Amino acid sequence: MQITAVRWPLHVVGPNNCHMQCGSLTLIALVIAARAAAAAPGEPAPPAAPVAAAADPGEAPAEGETVPRTPTTTLGRMFRGPFRSARLFAMPTADVIGAYVLTVSGEGSLLQQPGVLTSAGVLAVGFGDIAQLEYRHTEAIGITGLDAPVPAVGVQLKLPIPERSGIPAIGVAFRLGVPRGELLDGRNVDETVTDLYLVGRLRFTSLPWLTLHGGTRISFAKAAPAGADVVSRTLWLPTAGYELAMNPQASIIGELALAPQFQWMPAIQPAPAIGRGVLGRLGMKWRIVPSVILEGSLGYQVDDATPSEGFEAVVTWDIRLGAAVFVPWGALACRAVGVFCN
Amino acid sequence: MKQASGMILATVLGTAAVARAQPAPGGAPSPDGKPVPVSDAAAPTGTPAPTGTPTTGVPASPYEPPPSDPGPLLGGQVDPPRDGRAGPQRRHPPMRFPEVLTTPTGWLLPAGVLYSRNAIDTGGGVTSDDRVGLGDVAEFGVATTDQVRERQLLADKPVRIQPYITASFRMGVEENRLFAGQPGVTLGFRKSFEREHAGFKTRIAELTLVASKHLGPDAAIHIGGTLWDASMQATAQVDDMPAPETTLHGHGLARQIRAFGGFEARPLPRSQILIDLGWAPDFCYQCTAETDRIKLRPELSWGVRYQVASFMHIESGVRVPDIGNFNLLDAQIFGQVTFTSFALSDAVETLK
Repeated sequence: MQITAVRWPLHVVGPNNCHMQCGSLTLIALVIAARAAAAAPGEPAPPAAPVAAAADPGEAPAEGETVPRTPTTTLGRMFRGPFRSARLFAMPTADVIGAYVLTVSGEGSLLQQPGVLTSAGVLAVGFGDIAQLEYRHTEAIGITGLDAPVPAVGVQLKLPIPERSGIPAIGVAFRLGVPRGELLDGRNVDETVTDLYLVGRLRFTSLPWLTLHGGTRISFAKAAPAGADVVSRTLWLPTAGYELAMNPQASIIGELALAPQFQWMPAIQPAPAIGRGVLGRLGMKWRIVPSVILEGSLGYQVDDATPSEGFEAVVTWDIRLGAAVFVPWGALACRAVGVFCN
Repeated sequence: MKQASGMILATVLGTAAVARAQPAPGGAPSPDGKPVPVSDAAAPTGTPAPTGTPTTGVPASPYEPPPSDPGPLLGGQVDPPRDGRAGPQRRHPPMRFPEVLTTPTGWLLPAGVLYSRNAIDTGGGVTSDDRVGLGDVAEFGVATTDQVRERQLLADKPVRIQPYITASFRMGVEENRLFAGQPGVTLGFRKSFEREHAGFKTRIAELTLVASKHLGPDAAIHIGGTLWDASMQATAQVDDMPAPETTLHGHGLARQIRAFGGFEARPLPRSQILIDLGWAPDFCYQCTAETDRIKLRPELSWGVRYQVASFMHIESGVRVPDIGNFNLLDAQIFGQVTFTSFALSDAVETLK
């Protein structure tokens, strides 16, 4: 076998040296043909696989992968991402949305309060690749029994630890509460909740479809009724969640957390009380296009439930629909006026 | 010999090209590249089904288009290609209905599919149910229902409260997704807006868990459990205080949990026979016993669904609102039309 020793142009192959080399070439060609035939048509060729994975909106983007910011980047390419979500439903995750990206998200409940459309939202701006600034509504149960979205401004950090299977990514989120007024029996009560979250995210190479989230919410809650003493309390509130990737675009998400609960019956209580309430959500996120995520979920203990009512009081559950839109403002600015380019 | 070598090479390359162009064994790939079971591969899709007798020997699936598809205007699945320059049409996943007649199934609408069902019956009921599939794992809908009934006294004949507006959210796992033979499973939640009627505010909510399984290509069974809840409160105040609220969950889980189910069979390619048994709440405003004020009544329905076109089905049948009393005088004959559309789904794919 001398196929590597001889370099013959095809046109000089003659009868005297044909049989062995041509036979070898034929054999090799047959092997290649068999391998090509054995590969399923839908199976991506090995060199193309990483490209396909990177372009897939449902895949978790690789660490450090960002939207290209060049003057020639097309709008379609910009909005193809990759984009990362920094929360489950209410719980922050150990991710940030990334630099030069802005996200606006909101959700509404048709049924949380009878006859009223309630809503909550988040506006977040990526700051470097490890932080984001946000204005959001955080979860607490108000004195009227509702899952009251209490406004807060916050910063979320991701600790720059290399990601490995079985080793959690760690994030810290601080949300500075802004007072929210509630009216009860003609008396106004300002409720404020300031939170510090310590959260971790765990993935395993052997279970690529599963992501676990867990952490603690340290909550500083304050109730200030008009004409009465201010009540405040510090609460340690565990929080946990999971994501199941059902297909490249959609995942099922569950979230269970304790939340501050304000309780006050002015007729029998001289001052409000601050306790703990359970909030649970089960739903899904659908990345309809890379830059838009639709969310839907059903929630437990968010209506006008009284503490004596339990799981079986499904008439107090609610349904929420939401959406998140990612805007690669850095890439847009680069394309428009040539600033913030890579 | 020189010519022979060229022929060998050309033959090898040609063989490779032909072999690569063949479909993978086990069925055509789905849009996401996963293999599709034989029964689903030719299900209602954007591409015309092959004509002629199937060579596999497997009976035609009820969820497949008829062998020769004349197009939707003539009752077929797909439009014939109008423009030769247009690319290959998108392959749509099979459409499985989220409801039998009145009870939910363990199947979900495919992602981005719009669903609208509108019904009338001989009792004067008019209902509508509009849904959208979310990501192949969930669906959201808003509906009006006429299943909720009211009466003043226990001996009175109940009348329907309508329109009674509800929102629903269901999520689940499609059939055969986790393992072969796995039934489709959905967890659903339906809740109404508060309804004021006859001096009372009422609400209902229902949490369901249902499994659906095909029994061969032409039949399917649905079995589930439901946790019902409802509340009722007089709008008039008592001593300047709100009237006490009566709830179904206030009387124990046994009064809330019920089993329901359904069965469907397709004796003809476009026609299905459907039967289901469900439950609906009944409010009694002046009943003295607390446990009589909110009750669940069994409801039996049976009927036929006919596929007029890929996007349109009509259904007709009989519904007995309180089969527990077996009072057929209360039975209603209903007719409903269901439209489904892949337009949003296709638009999303185009955007991608």
